[in-house]
Amino acid sequence: MRTEEETMKLITNRFLDCNVKKLRPQNLEAKVPESITIDILSHLKSHGYSHLATISCVDWIDDNEFELAYHLFSYEDRINITIQTRIDREKAKYITAKELWPVAQFYERDIHDFFGVEFEGNDNLEELILENWNHTPPMRKDFDTRKFVNEQYEWRDYHEQENAD
Amino acid sequence: MDGTYKRGSWEEVMDWFRKRSLWMLHYCTGCGAIELPPTMTSRYDMGRFGISPMATPRQADLLLVTGYLSTKTLRRLIYTYEQMQDPKFVIGFGSCAINGGMYWDSYNTIKQLDKYLPVDLYIAGCMPRPEAILDGFLELRDRIESGKADGYKKYKKNFEYYQKNQEAVLGEVQRTQ
Repeated sequence: MRTEEETMKLITNRFLDCNVKKLRPQNLEAKVPESITIDILSHLKSHGYSHLATISCVDWIDDNEFELAYHLFSYEDRINITIQTRIDREKAKYITAKELWPVAQFYERDIHDFFGVEFEGNDNLEELILENWNHTPPMRKDFDTRKFVNEQYEWRDYHEQENAD
Repeated sequence: MDGTYKRGSWEEVMDWFRKRSLWMLHYCTGCGAIELPPTMTSRYDMGRFGISPMATPRQADLLLVTGYLSTKTLRRLIYTYEQMQDPKFVIGFGSCAINGGMYWDSYNTIKQLDKYLPVDLYIAGCMPRPEAILDGFLELRDRIESGKADGYKKYKKNFEYYQKNQEAVLGEVQRTQ
């Protein structure tokens, strides 16, 4: 069983330019460059961090970047690690993690639904949650929900009777 | 009733029977699904009004839409409704079915259920308590007896209106019948 410090060393010994931080007991956060994220995931997987809880995405529209966060957990160490990486927002393209965890395919489909990020190597990125969506992906910050709702749906007219008279 | 059609006495007798034996299919989309178990079980006991749950759409008379509907669920709801046999009644639960409720500005939930399916009765509340639900059921019984709960006839008569609204949010809708 590793402590948090030993796990931090596990990453930084191999990958020098990683910024690993301890948030609270049993919770680590690593901000890593885009180019070595898959290597780090693979490295951690082979050292006990075998559970990929989810992949999440954040739209940092001011920085023009998407942040992908891979949430890993080790059953031996009982430590959560979040591997965060930033990718270009315009290109919105990254590499799939499905070779490491087959379940990543579904998380990536989900992110593709809601943020429009493409994952190279993932051959099944069809709609998972949404249906027949041809607008901006809805979780992007530049998607104007209110405007979309006004165009797509009609509000109930509560003054129908008054107007009729 | 629209004047041109007069209910015969046979119809009246049938309605009298219908109102006393309602099999309900509860389409548990939102939090209304939580209010139904107490309504069904011994404390409020809807069984004393002849209302019981039914497992399949083809054998049910009453469709309960218990909360918000995303567009994806709406498609399945339409399939379910069209599989049910006449006479069939729809009850919309809570403010979500009436005007979107707390999901009023959500990109993916419909705002007015009655534009897509003929709703016989709305029960207001967020969510309605079992007392309100039972009150709604009793009101529906009265409407069935007096022949006012004719949503399924309206659906056939105004099918183009409903189809237009459905296809505006869903794209093509497969018809099961």
